[in-house]
Parts: sequence; structure tokens; C-alpha cells
Amino acid sequence: MQFIRSKTFHWTTVLAGLFAIFVTVLFGFIYFRIDNYLIARSDRMITTQIGFFAGLPRERLIGALNDHLGQDSRGVQFSGVFDAKGNRLAGNVAALPDGLDIGAPARSMPLVRLDDKEAGATSVRTVARRLENGDILVVGRNVDETAEVFRVVGAALAIGLLPAFCLWLLAGAWLSARAHRRVEEVNLRVQRIIAGDLRERLPHKNVDEPFSRLAAIVNRMLDELETMINALAGVGNDIAHDLRTPLTRARLTLERGRTNATTLEQLQEVVDKAIAGIDQSLSIVTALLRLAEIENSRRSSAFGDVALGDMLREVCDMYEPIAEDKQIALSVNIADKFSVRGDRDLLLEAVANLVDNAIKFTPRSGRVELALLRGEGETILRVTDTGPGISAHEHDAVLRRFYRSDKIRNTPGIGLGLNLVSAIVKLHGFRLIIHAGPGGRVEIVCPDEEGGRT
Amino acid sequence: MAKVLLIEDDGETAGEITAELADRGFEVAWSADGLDGLAKARDLRPDAMIVDRLLPGMDGLTVIESLRKDQVRTPVLVLSALGAVDDRVRGLRMGGDDYLTKPFAIVELVARIEALLRRPPETRETNLRVGQLELDLIERTAKRGERRIDLLPREFRLLEYMMRRSDQLLTRAMLLEEVWNYKFVPATNLVDVHMGRVRHKVDGPGDAPMIQNVRGAGFILRAVP
Repeated sequence: MQFIRSKTFHWTTVLAGLFAIFVTVLFGFIYFRIDNYLIARSDRMITTQIGFFAGLPRERLIGALNDHLGQDSRGVQFSGVFDAKGNRLAGNVAALPDGLDIGAPARSMPLVRLDDKEAGATSVRTVARRLENGDILVVGRNVDETAEVFRVVGAALAIGLLPAFCLWLLAGAWLSARAHRRVEEVNLRVQRIIAGDLRERLPHKNVDEPFSRLAAIVNRMLDELETMINALAGVGNDIAHDLRTPLTRARLTLERGRTNATTLEQLQEVVDKAIAGIDQSLSIVTALLRLAEIENSRRSSAFGDVALGDMLREVCDMYEPIAEDKQIALSVNIADKFSVRGDRDLLLEAVANLVDNAIKFTPRSGRVELALLRGEGETILRVTDTGPGISAHEHDAVLRRFYRSDKIRNTPGIGLGLNLVSAIVKLHGFRLIIHAGPGGRVEIVCPDEEGGRT
Repeated sequence: MAKVLLIEDDGETAGEITAELADRGFEVAWSADGLDGLAKARDLRPDAMIVDRLLPGMDGLTVIESLRKDQVRTPVLVLSALGAVDDRVRGLRMGGDDYLTKPFAIVELVARIEALLRRPPETRETNLRVGQLELDLIERTAKRGERRIDLLPREFRLLEYMMRRSDQLLTRAMLLEEVWNYKFVPATNLVDVHMGRVRHKVDGPGDAPMIQNVRGAGFILRAVP
């Protein structure tokens, strides 16, 4: 019975009530139109009749009246002749009604039948005429069809409306019970998620219905959360491992130096090596903090128009000597001037990271190309190289913290670069696309902002 | 002797910084919380301040903001465990102050304090000269003695910056920030590569080296006889 309190049920009830009122009014209208029509027809009839009777000579009038009443099997006809004082001379009307307006058009008057006095006065459509000799002729007709029509219309209303109303209430109850059941179901699953089962998802069917769509949206959010939480869980171990390596090295160096060093120079050398190890640990911590900071920040008011072409040229300018040293051809290819809304410093960092990676992993005499081009409603910033690229199965892994491909184990770096790029790209609402090798191809796709900015 | 006010709540860090600055000939005053630090800044009128961002009493940025409201223009170096992505820090940098993320190397801190204290004056000079080295900012040409030096635009920019701050230790991070406008330290040793090119051109064979590499710290441009 919980559905009775539900909003869905309340609304269905209100709608059913409104519908019932509307139907009742409609039926009432139909009834009154029919009623009016019947009365008008009967009025025309008695007016014609009284004209006919009044035109008859006296001796035939009584006979015609009696014939007329004799043929009325349903007992709806009233007629009578009264003298000027109101005494009944013929017909079935017991007495002249009060307020009879002689010669006026037909109207409802209370008449009493001679043969059925107990029934009392019935409201009857009545006309009256004064005859040539001063007598008064009264003709009336009880329009009993209206009662019949009322019964029929009433019955139709009852047969139609009552079941419809009940059906409506049932539908309301069913809908609200269903909604309630689904909420319960969702609640059950959410409770499981709260309890720690991150693989749980809300039930949803692939139909365009608000509830299903909501469930799909929540599921997408859960997917993202699950990935994030899993990533976080892995990070703890990775950090510990990556910090321990340089720290262990530093400790060993110091330990050996303390035992073996005999001159100040030797000791200084040992200390320098130890500091380098500690610096590497610190750079990991710094990179992690920075990553966390970017991931936790929001679109800031400092966002401005960033001219991507100029930015690419700057990065290229910065990396040219390094590329030259490795005999790598570094080129920039800019289709047109494009700008996006963003944080210049962060975007520069992202692009620099991509270029840094590209140059690092491209063998001597290779090629690295920066390109800026236009896609469908988006600006694409692309870095391609002739290095080994990122294979399909490493695709997700490269975005994991500290992931370093086996192929590059001996290349210096701390394995957070692409994480940083990914975080920056996400902060801007852009997309990072890593194409499968051979050859590296990474794209930052910047969709146009609402309002058609390019 | 330059007076430096240090506002830092961690005693040990403060001790190290004070000792290092004292060794380099600075007079250092120390305060461990924001309110006291603000009072000292008003009393002592230091030449430069080092302010930790998270402080008991009043946070570092608020200390600086209240000083600025009183028209105290002392240059400040802000220290923080937080990075520098947020807007208030950008504001600081625009105002000529500096920001250093913890953990940092002590040489970095000293180099930045010296840079703050010895900000080059805004000159309209179009000719820079350090020893034999001469830079024409209009013609964009460089000469060492009679020898012409061909520089790429980016190399010219780097040399110009170094000449304006000759005899000062310039760390890699400072150069990245000021010359290339990089607010981060890239993985590759970019600065060393660029510096190597410039040095190769400035210090020709047989010349006494003007650009000196300070191990583990950065670079200094000095006039040589």
C-alpha cells in the first residue's frame, strides 16, 4: 500500500479526477441538448394540435378530443375544455392550473390528470386558447422522453466512466509500484557499491526512457570512478617501489663512502651521488603532487585564448637543439591560425611533454612532426614520430602512473609524463588520443566551444 | 648588508635557511607565525622576505596581501608544498614576487632571493655590455671584443637575460621561467643544451670562459679580463 503515498499515484489520481469531471460535463451537455430538442418538438406538436382543435365546430370538438386521448396509450397527452369560470366540460385535465396564460406560447405548467389524481400535479408542456364561445381549451404533453434520455445517458456514463476511472487508478498504482520497485532495486545495488563492490552497475534497458537513461548516466560515472579507484590502488605500490629504488641507491653510496672515502674529494663525490639519488626521489614526489594538483583543479578564471600555432612554434624552438643533437628532423606544420580557450602554461606543458617523449623514443635520424589541423568542429594538435610508437595492448597502460614500457626501461624518466598530459587535457575538456604504432601518433583534440568559436 | 625576513613555521627548515643565508652575508630575522611575521615585516622593513604559504595565525598569501595594501613593496619569495597552478600565485608573479615549490634545493632559494634583491633597473639602454661582450638590442647583434657572434633569436634572448643579470647565479628553473616562459621543469635537460650552444658561440677557442657552469645549481655570466 506504499504506492498510495507516492507522487506518481497522486498525479494519476488527480488526472483521473479531472478526466471524470470533463466526461461528466460532456455527457451533461449532450443530455441538455437532446432535452431541449425534444421539448421544442413537443411544443410544436401541441401548438399544431391546439390550432386544429380550436378550428373544429363545438359538437365535433368533444369527440375529437376523446379520440385523441383514447389513442394515447402512453398517457402523455393532456387536454380539456373548461367554461369561462373554469368548470371542466370535457377532457382528462382535472382543473385549470393557476397562472395559466391563455394564448401564450407553450410552457411548463403543473397539471393533474382526472384518471390519476393520486399522482398529483405533473409538470407538463401546456398551451391554452380561448374558443369563440368563451370556453377555454387546454392541450398539454408530458415530455417523458427526457426522463428516458436521462436514464440512457446516465447509464452510458456509469458504464463508461466508472471502469475507466478504476482502470486509471489501477494504472497509477501499477506505475508507482513499478517506480518504487526500481528505486528499491537501485538502492540495493547502490548499497552494494557503498559496501565496496565497485563492479556493481545499475540495471538499465536500452530504451529511451528517463529512468533507463539516468541509470546509464550513473553507470558511466561508476565506470570512471572504478577506473580511478583501481588506478589509485595501484599507485600506492608503484610510488613505494619507485621511491625506494633511488633511495636505496643513495643509502648504499653513502654507506660505502663512509667506510671507504679517505679524502675530502672522495667524500664530496659520494655526497654528490647521494644527492642525485635523493633529487630523483624528490622529483617523483614533486611530479605526483603536481599531477594531483592539476587533477583536483577546476576550469579556472585564468583561462584565456591560447594561440596554438604560436605555442607549437615555441615548443619546437625549445626542442630544436636537442632534436638536432640526435639528428632528428623536427618540423611544425600549421594549417591555419587556431586558438582555444585554456590555460597557456598547462597546455604548453602538455605539448612539451609529448614532444619530449617523441624525441626521447625516436631513434637517431628519425623524424618528429608537430601539426595543427582542423577536424569536424574541432581543432587537432598532433605529434607524430618515427619511434616505436605505442602498441594497442599498451594503450591503457601508458596512462597508468609510473608505467614504463619494457622497450624503454633503460631510457631515463619517471613515467608520469603522459599522466600529466592526460590530466591537463581532461581539465580543459579536450581528448587525448593515442594511436597504435608502429610510429608514434598522439593527438590532443580540442572541440570547439559552444557558440562556434574556432 | 641585506636584511631578509623569514616567516616559516617549521623550525628545522628555518634553521637551515637562516644558516645558509647568514653564510652568504645576509642578515636574517625569523618569525614562526603569520601575525607575528606581519608585525615584524612592518617594524623591521626588510629588503626581502621569504614567506611560507601555510602558516599558523594567518596564511602566507594573506600576510603579503595585507602588506601590499599598506603600500609595502618589499619583494617576497613564497614557499609552498602546493604547486603554483592557482590564480593568487599568478598574481604574485605578475607583481614581481617569486614562488618556490617545496621541496627545493637551497641554492635555488638563495639564487632567487638574490635575483629579487638585485632586480635589474628598468633602463632604456639599447646596448648591453659585460666585459668584452656587447649586445645591441636594436640591431640584434652581438660582439665579443672585435669578434661578431651570430645568434639565433632564442640564443639572443637567453644571452640578453644573462647579461642583465651578470655575476648572478641563474638556476635552470629561473631560466626556464624567465626566458622560455615555462612554468615547469621538463624531463629533458633543455637548458643545458641551449646553454651549451650559446656558450660555444660566446666562449670561442682561446677565449677565457665567461659563462660558468655551477655544478648542480646553474650558470653565471661573468666579465673576464
